[in-house]
Amino acid sequence: MRRTPSVLFALAAMTAAGYCIASVQAQQDAATPAPPPAYTPPLKGAPPVEDTPAQREALAQWKAKAEQRLEADREAHNAVVTPSYNFHYGKETPFTPGNVQVQGEGFLQPGAYPTADYCGTCHQEAYSQWRHALHSNAFRTPFYRTSVNLLIRDKTRGIAFARHCDSCHNPIGVLGGALTEDSKVDRARFDSDGLTCTTCHSVVSLDSTNGNASIKMGVPSVIVDEKGERIPGMVPFDMILKHPERHSKAVMHDFLHTPEFCAACHKANLPNPLNDYKFLRAFTAYDEWQQSKFSQRNPLTFYTADFTTCQGCHMKRNANALPDYGAKNGTFASHRWLAGNTAVPFYYGFDEQLKKTIEFLRAGNYLNVDIFALKRANSDDLIAPLGKASYSLAPNDAVEAYVVIQNKNIGHSLIPEVRDLYEAWVEFTVKDDDGKEIYHSGFLKPDGMLDPRAHSFTNRPVTDEGEFVDNHKVWTIHSVAYDNTVPAGRSVLVRYQFRLPANATGAVTVTAKVNYRHLRQSYLNNIFGKDHPAYPVVEIASRSRVLKIGDNAPEADDPADNPEWMRWNNLGIALLDQFQYADAVRAFTETVRLRPTYADAYVNIGLTEIAWEKYESARLAIRRALVLDPKSARAHYYDGLLQRRAGNTEQEIADFRTVVDMFPQSRDARRELGITYYQQNDNPAALEQFEALQKIDPDDLTAHYNLSILYRRMGMPKQAAEQQAKFVDKKVDPGAPTYSLNFLRAHQEISTESIPWHMHSDLDNDAGSPSSGR
Amino acid sequence: MRKLRLIALGVCLIGLPTMCRAENKCAWINEATVSGLLGGEAVGAVAEQVAGQPAVCEFTQHNESGKRTLRLTVEIAGDAHARLVASAQICGADAVPLRAIGNEALICAADEHKSQMGERLVGRVRDQVFTITISTTLKNDPILTRDEIKSRIYTAAEQVSGNLF
Repeated sequence: MRRTPSVLFALAAMTAAGYCIASVQAQQDAATPAPPPAYTPPLKGAPPVEDTPAQREALAQWKAKAEQRLEADREAHNAVVTPSYNFHYGKETPFTPGNVQVQGEGFLQPGAYPTADYCGTCHQEAYSQWRHALHSNAFRTPFYRTSVNLLIRDKTRGIAFARHCDSCHNPIGVLGGALTEDSKVDRARFDSDGLTCTTCHSVVSLDSTNGNASIKMGVPSVIVDEKGERIPGMVPFDMILKHPERHSKAVMHDFLHTPEFCAACHKANLPNPLNDYKFLRAFTAYDEWQQSKFSQRNPLTFYTADFTTCQGCHMKRNANALPDYGAKNGTFASHRWLAGNTAVPFYYGFDEQLKKTIEFLRAGNYLNVDIFALKRANSDDLIAPLGKASYSLAPNDAVEAYVVIQNKNIGHSLIPEVRDLYEAWVEFTVKDDDGKEIYHSGFLKPDGMLDPRAHSFTNRPVTDEGEFVDNHKVWTIHSVAYDNTVPAGRSVLVRYQFRLPANATGAVTVTAKVNYRHLRQSYLNNIFGKDHPAYPVVEIASRSRVLKIGDNAPEADDPADNPEWMRWNNLGIALLDQFQYADAVRAFTETVRLRPTYADAYVNIGLTEIAWEKYESARLAIRRALVLDPKSARAHYYDGLLQRRAGNTEQEIADFRTVVDMFPQSRDARRELGITYYQQNDNPAALEQFEALQKIDPDDLTAHYNLSILYRRMGMPKQAAEQQAKFVDKKVDPGAPTYSLNFLRAHQEISTESIPWHMHSDLDNDAGSPSSGR
Repeated sequence: MRKLRLIALGVCLIGLPTMCRAENKCAWINEATVSGLLGGEAVGAVAEQVAGQPAVCEFTQHNESGKRTLRLTVEIAGDAHARLVASAQICGADAVPLRAIGNEALICAADEHKSQMGERLVGRVRDQVFTITISTTLKNDPILTRDEIKSRIYTAAEQVSGNLF
């Protein structure tokens, strides 16, 4: 009993501080790293050092021994692991439902991977950044373990199914045969390092862009010999320092710089072997990037930008603080992979990583928030754009505010990937002169839960019972009740309705913020129970405007505001996505008025009118765009659609060909051109387009469907059957909407979120909108 | 044969509730991992949780001059935080809170007697309280030094808490 108070004190300190004390960072970085071995980089352009015959002989002997040792270890490892391994999907596919493969026969022992400590001797900056980054913590975090443990404990599934997740989160474990009921593998050797240096740097080929770890892991090697042959395992540092070019050849494949490499894991699907249902796309940041302006592969984007890869944003070069022989001119490509995850650094106490993550989220001009317009109740007049228009407000006015949020410079959706767990939302407030709240949507409740009627950029996956999949049991997902994420480059209109107080004087301030939290509160509760500290909420972007009671005159722009033509253009894009075609055309017409030589504004009118089935006026708009910019691939694409409708096949083909020539990786143009050729019974030409399309997007349903027919026609029954099977597996389950409707019926508080054109209101108005906010 | 089985069952029953030597089916850490942590081939035994008693996994690595042990207990508690506090009382003022192990965790020395050096870690994942003790009776153990035990018990705790999440 005597000892109790000190224990209680320690625990109280932990709880009060929202944890404590001996942080993991301190535990992991306690020792100051020893200086790396001495090294003088070769002069630029200097030829590699030539080995003497004796040195070559010594290296050959080293290589032979290393290979012998690796093979002996691998054999011994397999002898222990294989007998009790659960080959649930057959002996030939030990890693299914993941797509990961490994060089050589059988499982690869975890000891084959040179350790991060070893790499960190010379790459201290990279090591330090990696240790605090998501990749090194890909497996061990509670956020991941809670989720994968549910799969492991699932009565009809089990640990063999977890290979689906761990192929990306813990590939050393998967390839080492650790994922089985009676594991014989020492997991302490790799679990804490997640994706260690020699996982990414040992990949020898990308199998496809199918995701789910569609890579082939090579036998890890940090150097090649003079013939370019890989030497397995760790080697003395002087061997590397003498031949840095051979080290690079072993560990730095060109594909490491490509988005396709990231796609291996930043694209995931839920295959039938996992869910016993059908193929479902889980997420694909890669395809979102490919469809964005940053890829320069898609002619249909609303705006253009310089080519930027995933690495261009998430691995920016920075001055290195620690010695690193991989640095160039004192800078090193970031191995922090800064993105949106604040939860992991918060949990582990990686303060620097957390700080930099928050800075990253707030930097980069990723989003634009525009309080664009006002509308008084019972009036059709739009007061827009705010800041330019004059208007007056009176006490007791019921006012509708148009907030346009543009996903301006993110190379993927707002938010990407696991959008059932990550949470971004709009917080909208109206306050009087004294700061008193008049309206508030998107607040956090005392229990940390988000106002259920907030406008959130999330989705709601549901089971076949119409239940929300709250805890990321992805294998139970059968449908998605709604997905309100904003694709790259597009905009969304969020409408709020509130009433000015009857006694209002002076002014009110309206503020719209986009907040982000990693992770949703109920998921955090699933992980920790309810007694966990509040996780960080980051304001990514915001905009305020002061609305005077009485007359309001135009005001000066904020430097962060978009130009006026772009504000109208973004409104048009948002209205188009909400199927408000007439209003969208009006908005795009304003863009034309403000920027009459901007061909894309006419294209925007044209494509809206195509969606609206007003082909004649669409034709006029597209023609005007082509006059302004005869080389506009975007205009040619929509012209192709219009020419098809008019029966001008020759021109239709010419248009789509123009687009394909300019953008060979345009999936839309390939698809449409394939359809055109198919309709013309030009089977070889159609086949060429659909095969090209499938290389760009292996999941394109049109390609699967048409290829199955074309292959059959061309006497290729096996390929036809394959495509047919893929089409059947990937096409939408006609029953899925029922699951979504069951969910929405039971959750009226958010059911309006599934309707593109909806209002957030606390008024009982004629439209009968349910109340929201507070 | 039947007689042999009965004898085996009898031995087992006599051994309860301490330890019934069974297959290595510890749900929270496997034998291979503990072998790595203890620096040699360890043999594990498991006792399931019964009323009032936690589940116990005990792994021993015998050596000519002594033995190394990793003992793990896991139990579900109504007020798990209070149970953790109670479990940690044995540490007294020496308890050092640890970050990023489960919901909360503490570590302290566990030198039961002069010839044994060890560390104890008490942690919680939601309503599950666990304790891990790693100890050695080897004099001047070349592998399990005090610092090594601290480092390895942390690794063990990551394994255990990870599996409890």
